[in-house]
Amino acid sequence: MLFLDLTINGLLTGTFYVLIAIGLTLVFGVLKVVNFAHGEFYMAGAYAYVLLALRAGWSPWAALGGACAAGAVLAMVTERLLMRPLYATYTTWKVPKDEYAVLVTFGLSLFLMNLATQVIGPQSYRGPSLVQIPRVDLGVALISGQRLAALGVAALVLAGTVAFIRWTPWGREIQAVAQNRFGASLAGIDTGRASLVVFALGGGLAGLAGALLAPLYQAYPQVGALPAAKAFVIVVLGGMGSVVGSIVGGLLLGVLEAWGAAYVSYAYQHVFGFLLLILVLLLRPWGLFGERAREV
Amino acid sequence: MSLLVVDGVHKDFLGRVALSGVSFTVAEGECVGVIGPNGAGKTTLANIITGFLAADRGAVRFRGARIDGLPPHEISLRGIRRTFQLTRNFPRMSVLENVLVASAAVGMPPARARRRAEELLEALTLASLAHEPAGHLSGGQQKLLELASCLVSDPALVILDEPFAAVHPSVKETIQQAIVRQKADGRTFLVISHDLGAFAGVASRLVAVGAGRLLADGAPEEVLAHPAVVEAYLGGEAWIR
Amino acid sequence: MATETRQLRATLALFALLALLPWAVLQPYWQGVLIVALYYAALAVAWNLLAGYGGQFSLAPAAFSLLGGYTTGVLHYHAHLSPLVGIPASVVVTFVVGDLLGRIVLKMRGPYLALTTFAFLAIVNLVIANSYAVTRGDLGLSVPALPLTRPQYYYLFLLVLAAVQGVTYGLLRSRVGLFIRAIRDDELAAAARGVDVVRWKTRVFAITSAMSGCAGALYVHFSGLASPEMGTILESGLVISMAVVGGLGTLPGPIVGAFLVEAGAEALRQVGVRHMLVFSAVMILVARTFREGIWGAVERLLGAPRVLPASVPGRVPEESR
Repeated sequence: MLFLDLTINGLLTGTFYVLIAIGLTLVFGVLKVVNFAHGEFYMAGAYAYVLLALRAGWSPWAALGGACAAGAVLAMVTERLLMRPLYATYTTWKVPKDEYAVLVTFGLSLFLMNLATQVIGPQSYRGPSLVQIPRVDLGVALISGQRLAALGVAALVLAGTVAFIRWTPWGREIQAVAQNRFGASLAGIDTGRASLVVFALGGGLAGLAGALLAPLYQAYPQVGALPAAKAFVIVVLGGMGSVVGSIVGGLLLGVLEAWGAAYVSYAYQHVFGFLLLILVLLLRPWGLFGERAREV
Repeated sequence: MSLLVVDGVHKDFLGRVALSGVSFTVAEGECVGVIGPNGAGKTTLANIITGFLAADRGAVRFRGARIDGLPPHEISLRGIRRTFQLTRNFPRMSVLENVLVASAAVGMPPARARRRAEELLEALTLASLAHEPAGHLSGGQQKLLELASCLVSDPALVILDEPFAAVHPSVKETIQQAIVRQKADGRTFLVISHDLGAFAGVASRLVAVGAGRLLADGAPEEVLAHPAVVEAYLGGEAWIR
Repeated sequence: MATETRQLRATLALFALLALLPWAVLQPYWQGVLIVALYYAALAVAWNLLAGYGGQFSLAPAAFSLLGGYTTGVLHYHAHLSPLVGIPASVVVTFVVGDLLGRIVLKMRGPYLALTTFAFLAIVNLVIANSYAVTRGDLGLSVPALPLTRPQYYYLFLLVLAAVQGVTYGLLRSRVGLFIRAIRDDELAAAARGVDVVRWKTRVFAITSAMSGCAGALYVHFSGLASPEMGTILESGLVISMAVVGGLGTLPGPIVGAFLVEAGAEALRQVGVRHMLVFSAVMILVARTFREGIWGAVERLLGAPRVLPASVPGRVPEESR
């Protein structure tokens, strides 16, 4: 039945979306900024996976780890070099904090995309599959072995991430800083380290997503642009800073897109996400699970 | 006729009642002080009067016409100006420009606006800083600048939210003198402050708010001795002179 | 004020210089480069008004040049209307759409504003690229060139730039300038002082969008083609980097930035280096360290005062590293 098929497909795609979006929402929760270069962490992961597996001869599973590491390292360097000015309330910048973050992360996104084109080249590389099983019959749906394996990894990592945030000391530090940076620092929490960890986590997850989807969406300089855009929609939809929100939002977006592509228009399927983004920002800017802020 | 009428204003924030049935009036030329401990709802009241918050129930009338529901800039243009508890100026504009924004908004001709702005800056000891970016000013100077911006457009009612908080005594004095002088010219003031001593010689009437309710309304000596007010501030015993 | 007069004088000198350039640069190829630089300069001046002076950091400038180009293109392609109708129509259309977007982003700042304008750009681009029947999609729309020689095109573009700059300057000098700079620094304080925030924010959005639309319309008549490539995030990035590198919130900055980046792009092209690679890096550097761009650095050398950003005084300072 088409509807069920679409919905399941949507949920599966949505799971990958969640993987990309979670890092973005965590970064927002802790640093209160949207990282416009998030898609390039995905790109870095895709490239790392492809190049390690094809050029350096690593096994796909090892390359997966490499991709994760690539995303994490890139993220950490970004945090250290570019995000530091955001921590001081009193900055001497001509550009206030919010706008600084937009300019700097947007510039970084452009820079990384162009760097990839310059150094590696504009051509796309297709990554190798993780497993060689062609098709698996799950009863409700037919799914390729690669997709299933990738999903398995994604789901496991997501569960691990949620557990990390909920139950480990570092995870709880991140929660504390996200709720009240100043208070957390008074309580003795190293807020700089929390920012670094959360950035690394976000980058690693995005890199992993890039690698998992490389067999399908390949690796090329602009590959991260659309996933990043999807992540923005999800993070706003679910509520900036809410992990639950990005899970619900990601799955929701995946399903909505699947329905939209089939029932409304295939060509315009990406437009739905953006329209949804604008709608949410207009009507319910704090998203499904976010917090409302009081101004005066 | 009263200049300002606050009538049965009620406001709650998701279950927490910030204001409950608050009513009082302000007559033209008066200087009324609004006192109450932190969290009593004083700033919420100011926000509601000036249009930054909508009351859940009740009305606010200015010169007989209802102003609740109007956007803040329109209320401002009708002649009500306010300062904020956390001073808000325009840091990247010069001190003079800060004041000129307010005069330009009411359509004052540039030449007259400039003269008036310079007079006010002189009166508030900021003349020498006229071309400095406002962000360079000290806390006390920021408060004076905010006050100047309020007065330049010749408002009928000026609401000051904690004008004496955390400022140098000389700044406090300058502000008090300015209020007294303006009052002599017939301007009406509503001054919010939890600093009871600051009202000496400035306010002719006090309105006391506690936990969102109006506790007392009358001459300063009466209000300060009112048992409910004393209780709200000190939780029981002592007296305030 | 000393800074204002200095900027005004510098801008006038700049325009004098630009008026003389065609006499010095005679090869058509380089004249073409200069014309393109003038196009980007207009976009950068418009964006600087919106973001540098007005504080609304939109990521959508390219959406409006795209819309402007396609309005005149579509009007010609389907209704055979001449550019004399097409270009003014582009201005009107982009003014209206800009006003609409301005209303949508009214309550948004920083990341939310950026996200919405980003989404808007993506939508406009996707719709134009996919509406084959109207826009011929990725193939682009063929647009008639104006009966002008290269030098004449140059002066036309220079005129438009001068008009855009003139309107910008006029607005900034008037009370509108006070209002939008006040809104940029603190919307609530502005409202408390009687400034109609809604009206002026949307007005600035609409006006700057119309400026970009006009530039876009003119550009397609020069290049002969309206294509979706004009309205990508990379194009927006180029415009933004020009304004930032040149000097955000200054009068001559965006023009200086546009020419430097265009000239630099040509030079880099010779060497085989992607120009956006360099300019995005410069933009990051400027935002991170030099802060005020090239013109700002010039002013610093000439002794202008340092200005603090819109941080709220009196707030408890957080930990700083």
